[in-house]
Formats: sequence, structure tokens, C-alpha cells
Amino acid sequence: MARRHLPPTRALAGVLAGGLAAWLLAGCTSDSPPRTAATVSSAPARPAPAGTDAPGPGPTGTAAPAPPGIPVRDATAPAPTPAPAPVRLAVPSQDIDMAVVPVGVEDDGSMQIPADADEAGWYRYGPAPGDDEGNALLAAHVDSRQTGIGPFAALRDVEVGADVRVTTADGTTHEYRVTRVEKIAKDQAPLDLWFARTGPPLLRLVTCGGAWHADVGHYADNVVVTAEPTGG
Amino acid sequence: MRTRLLATAGALGLATVALTAGPASAADEAQLSVLHGVPGLTVDVWVNGERTLDDFEPGELAGPLDLPAGTYTVAITAADAADDSAPAIGPVDLTLEASTSYTAVAHLDASGDPTATLFTNDTSTTKPGEGRLTVRHVAAAPGVDVLAGTDAVITNLENPDEKVLNLPAGTVPASVVATGTTEPALLGPADVAVTEGTNTILYAWGDATADPSTLALATQVIEGLHSDPTAVQAGELGLVAESGSATVWPFALGGLVVLGAAALGFAGRRHAAATR
Repeated sequence: MARRHLPPTRALAGVLAGGLAAWLLAGCTSDSPPRTAATVSSAPARPAPAGTDAPGPGPTGTAAPAPPGIPVRDATAPAPTPAPAPVRLAVPSQDIDMAVVPVGVEDDGSMQIPADADEAGWYRYGPAPGDDEGNALLAAHVDSRQTGIGPFAALRDVEVGADVRVTTADGTTHEYRVTRVEKIAKDQAPLDLWFARTGPPLLRLVTCGGAWHADVGHYADNVVVTAEPTGG
Repeated sequence: MRTRLLATAGALGLATVALTAGPASAADEAQLSVLHGVPGLTVDVWVNGERTLDDFEPGELAGPLDLPAGTYTVAITAADAADDSAPAIGPVDLTLEASTSYTAVAHLDASGDPTATLFTNDTSTTKPGEGRLTVRHVAAAPGVDVLAGTDAVITNLENPDEKVLNLPAGTVPASVVATGTTEPALLGPADVAVTEGTNTILYAWGDATADPSTLALATQVIEGLHSDPTAVQAGELGLVAESGSATVWPFALGGLVVLGAAALGFAGRRHAAATR
């Protein structure tokens, strides 16, 4: 805020009056309009501090433009229910059609991956397919001690433009189209992008590839297929 | 980490919190939420002489509001008071630092008198797969223990103190009991969600001495504290390894796969799946 030259008390009071008047409006209009009107008209009006172009209070006696609402909610209410989890993944062009299970994090901080390479793990703390924002991330072993080579061995052969379908537990099928297929050294993996919880809704399919480092028991690279919703 | 400031207005004990800088938020602003935890009392909240929350009901949480860092004078009056000259709580000065999240709670002290406490919310990043549980005792009740199942995970928490736990995400069957006991439960048992990347703040508020007891739980959540997994290790055998440059895709996979899989004795259907 560029208002530090103002007497602090007054500047703060102004901001508060404006912000909190909006808060009142936002908090009350939804359930009790008559009370809101009374509230607003009874609020003592205070002129905006001179020389400010910040979102000041303005006349509090008018109901007009409220800054973004400040919620007032019942703190004793139950939490909202999360989006349905993905249960099935299909990439028809590579004959991939596999179960999806929710997974979390290993003790070492890496993503948990189903021991069965025929199952993909959905990072359950991140966005789900169908969420408005962020990346739904599904990963599966390219090969596993339990089941050998899995369907995600074919991720490296997926072509841009290929169709991907994810079915969620509510029976909805979410359609995607592949936009990128990449192989990236793990030490340069942009995990913050792959696991992003905001930004455009994308699907990320992740497995391993590249050279095998027998000394540590890991592949050198990640193979990542990125797909965007087709809107269909 | 908390220093206590006693306000001039007699019965009022205001706790203010020494600052622990939170991570990323608007550089110059503090975030303030307000919780009403005084049973049976509808109030107005006045900030710097302005009526800012009108007819604020018990159990309601308002905010968060982004405010420039600074000191704010807060008074709480009976609903529809003409001004803040006869506050039920306060006036108290709240000093808010930039990039820090606070919750001001109007509540009862241990002996049942109205008071207010300013808590600083822990918005530090959580580890991958973990959530944070903050428990705050703002009820007219003696010290309590919080049980997870039958184990006391918090002991002798007193009004107006808090305890912060970082836990694996999941559900904790929690109950609140008088300290040193395991029953009867003053609150709960209830399944408490420890949500990954979220500080779930539970308030035990109300009056345990009322008949019937008005003890209740209120919940505040602060999301977006998560951190990402450190890696995706999605291969265990090296059966489909490629040699050479990371920019070159493999061509002779089939033979390699068959050799590797055969050596390890995998079932035929795995070969077929991998080499088709």
C-alpha cells in the first residue's frame, strides 16, 4: 500500500472501514438483505483520507461497489466433500487401459507408486481429473519387482494428439488430448509444474525412462505425457 | 512463543503472539480472521472506532481480511451498541506484522469471563504428505488433554494456549478430556481430518460449567501450505532402460525387454504386454 505517508491510524482506519464494510456486505447479503441495509446505513461514514487512490472506504452509507467479499461462515459446519477420484485410465493408441488407485507420499518424500505396474497411482493430495484448476498427476512403474514391465512402458511412444480418457468414481469420463511427450532428467524435473494445484487443468502421466542406475536402483529420467481437456 | 499483554481494561487478558514470519503472502499485508467464541452473545466488533462486524454470532468465523501491517484497536460491544464506549471486551491493540496470518478470537477465559486472544497461525510449508493440526483452548474449562484414540497427543492444554502438531494426512479419532483423564469426553470423539498441506485449526470454545455444557468445536482451515513430492521414482528393475543420450529414444527395446524379463523369470503375459 502506498499510504505510508498518511497518519497511520487514519490510513488504517480508512482501509478497515472500507474493507470491513465490504466484509459486512458480503457476509450479510446472502442470508438477510434487510439487516444488511440497516447495517450499512448505520455504519458511521468517514471520508476517504485525502490524496489516496487506494481502495479506500468511500461513503459507507451506500451499498455500492464492494471489494472482493470477505467470507463469514459458520465455523462449526462440516467440511466440504472432495472431487471424485479417478479409477480408470485409457490411452487407446497404446492399448493402455488400467486401474487407477489413490496414492500419497513415501517416507523419503517421493511420490508413492503402486507396486503393481498394471496400476497407476493418482496423487491424491493434488487436483483430480475434472477439477477446474491444476494438474491431475497419474504415475505408474515402468517396471516393477512385483509384476515386471507395465503399460506405462508405452508412454514414451505416445504421440502428440493422442486421446486419453480418465474415468472418475462417479462414472464420469474425462477426455484429454496429448500436447507434449517429454523425457527429462530427474535432477531437472520441474516437480512444481507437474504437481501444480493452480493454473490450467492438465493431466500428467509420469513414469521412468532413460538409463538404469543400478547403484541406486532408479532410472535416470522421467517420461511425462501432458494432456489437456478436450472439453468434450 | 507467545508473550502476553494485559490490556488496561481490567478483566481483559489479551494474548498477543510474537511473530513467526509466514511464507509467501502479499508482502506488506497481514491476514486477519475473527472467530466469535462467546456463547449466547451476539456482538458488534469495532476496529479503530468503526463498527466493522455487525451482529456477529457465536461460532461464526469472519475473514481472512488482508490488512496493511500495523496496530489496530479492537473493541467488542453488545450488538447494536451506539458506539464502542462501553465494550464488553477491550479495547485492545492488535499489532499485525506483514506476511503473517492471525486469528483474533473473542472467547471466555478459564473462569468464564469474556476476553480476546490474538493467535498467530502457523503458515510454514508442510512436508509432502503431511498436514498440520492446531488445537486452541478458548473455553471456560480447566486444562484438557486431547486423545487420538486412547493416546494423549496433547496434555494439559490450558486456556488460552495452543498446540501445533504436524501429522501425516489422514483422519484422527479425537476426543477432548479433562487433563489426566480418559473419560468422560468433554468433546467428541469425532473424526478430525488432517488435510495435506492445510493447517486445520480446532477451537474448543464455550462453557464447560454451563448446564447443559456449551462446549463446542469450531474449525478454521488455512490451505495452500503444501510442498511437492521430492521425486517420482517409477521403475524398479531397469528392464526398459535406454543407454546413451537422454534425447535419444530407444529402438531395440523388444530384445532387451525379453532378455531382462526372462532372466528374472516373469510370466509370459508380461513379455507379451511389454513387447507388442
